Amino acid sequence: MRGRVLHRISHAWARAEMCVAAVLAAAITCLVLLNVVTRAMSASIFWVDEAAIYAMTWMTFLAASAAVHFSHSVSVTLLTDMLPRPALDIARRVVDAIVLIFALLMLWLCWRWFLPLDLARAGFDSVAFQGETFNFIYAEPTLTLGIRKFWLWLIMPLFAAGLTLHAVSNLVRPRSETAAP
Amino acid sequence: MTAALFLVLLFGAVPISIVLAMTAMSYISQSGNAVLFDSFAQQMFAGTENYGLLAIPLFMLTGELMNEGGMTKRLVNAARVLVGGFRGGLVWINLLANMFMAAIIGSAVSQIAVMSRAMVPAMEREGYDRGFAAATTAAGGLLAPVIPPSMLFVIYGVLAQIPIGDMFLAGILPGLLMAGSFFVVVTLIGLAAEFPKGDWMSAPDALRAILAALPAALIPVAIIGGIVLGIATPTESAAVASLIAFLLGWLVYGELKPSHLSALFLRTAQNASLVIFMVAAANVFGWVVIYEAIPQKLAALITSLTSDPFVFLLIVMGALLLVGMLIDGIAALILVTPILLPIATGDYGISPFQFGVVISINLALGLLTPPVGVGLYIAASMSDVKPTAILAALWPFLIAVLLVLLAVCYFPSLSLILLD
Repeated sequence: MRGRVLHRISHAWARAEMCVAAVLAAAITCLVLLNVVTRAMSASIFWVDEAAIYAMTWMTFLAASAAVHFSHSVSVTLLTDMLPRPALDIARRVVDAIVLIFALLMLWLCWRWFLPLDLARAGFDSVAFQGETFNFIYAEPTLTLGIRKFWLWLIMPLFAAGLTLHAVSNLVRPRSETAAP
Repeated sequence: MTAALFLVLLFGAVPISIVLAMTAMSYISQSGNAVLFDSFAQQMFAGTENYGLLAIPLFMLTGELMNEGGMTKRLVNAARVLVGGFRGGLVWINLLANMFMAAIIGSAVSQIAVMSRAMVPAMEREGYDRGFAAATTAAGGLLAPVIPPSMLFVIYGVLAQIPIGDMFLAGILPGLLMAGSFFVVVTLIGLAAEFPKGDWMSAPDALRAILAALPAALIPVAIIGGIVLGIATPTESAAVASLIAFLLGWLVYGELKPSHLSALFLRTAQNASLVIFMVAAANVFGWVVIYEAIPQKLAALITSLTSDPFVFLLIVMGALLLVGMLIDGIAALILVTPILLPIATGDYGISPFQFGVVISINLALGLLTPPVGVGLYIAASMSDVKPTAILAALWPFLIAVLLVLLAVCYFPSLSLILLD
């Protein structure tokens, strides 16, 4: 029962991730076209390339997290396809568990990188934070966009959190639903 | 230990991108370079910060728009005007249509899956054997790696840090050679087994089909022209092509509506992210490759065997055929390029362009090579014939590609002459 509720939350979150990813795909197309047009008129806008690249990065990590929910990933199924049904179910569970381990490790790595507690301890003062930790994450600028880069890097913890949600939901869903991707 | 984990995860059907990332994590924790963990997520992110990668979602979008907007259909129809009445005309159309689809989609596996359903029944209706129809559908994918906008070349260019437009130039002659060898194969098969003869269209029908396809022909022209003439980067060509495809599908052919776009962008985001996420994971996997000095160790092993670049390429071909059997082109390319490219350019003085052409064709070939080529089984299940029936018709194409591949290995000028 709890599995179903969790599955529904995971489903809603995956759909939200894909919606934003689709909007970003549209944004990429428009930005690159804008670049073509403005360059043809010799009036290039300098920040467009960088914006298109980061739209793609966000699209990628959002959709990569949703792919775990929708089972869209590319994998080598040569050996597992040969397994009989009960063994196949177990193999799928094991893969679900491995994906969850990966998700948790990603969360931990993002924590090590962003050091939110140290940042809070430094009173959200990035200079004091750097003095304490020698971690310059909050100081790095973007080349042309005029914002700090950590705003863009926030996709990584978001990705790790989404991945964890989907992986947990996959692992606790009822056995009958492990069947087909 | 790390190598064992890699193999267990890979063959345990764990998603390939996660296999790459977890292998890197395991390596870092064992090698005691824990400081690398602090920038692990940043390194993954950095793997996607590449202008060339933007071409991937844009080409995928173009492919989607062409199919949904009725352009693929009209181009195939126009091709029938030109060759439809010849014996074996439909074979050619099928080969060409598949070549373009595979180049745009970038995955031979999805090209075979999509096109088998469209083209195999059409060929069967005209009287072709179903196994042969499925074989030509699969064989079209063999040409794809060298045809702009080949997804394999885009990704190889990004990994090898060489201009993608030049990569396309390097692929032109090998591509023509492959097309020529296919021409010979189809002619020989046609002589041996009487191909069914299609009907020539009546003049008014033919005219109508050609007129209908003329606007659609703008798309390949825009893509190839933009890249080859150097007017636009592959990324920009792809964006322009997708805009043309949308406008034609909407205003000229009336088969697309702006309301369809959301579904298309959704599919594009999904498919493109599969590939780009793999590139991101490969970026952390690259640490393992670099810190373990895998290219150097492998190079020491191989250089003790031979100092001849051609023999080296033969060894690489054998290895890639094995890898290509198991893993679809892009994933395999991402796995092997960082390991093999430094050896090829550093120890054997092979041009990165020649090497890119060789490994791209090689991986496409591996996918269809028995006994385990995945593409073969997908073609079989999609068109409902036995893999052996496909193989019976496919082997001449495989041999033809193998011969061209050997020629490209032996004569570097085949891939380099247009670059100078």
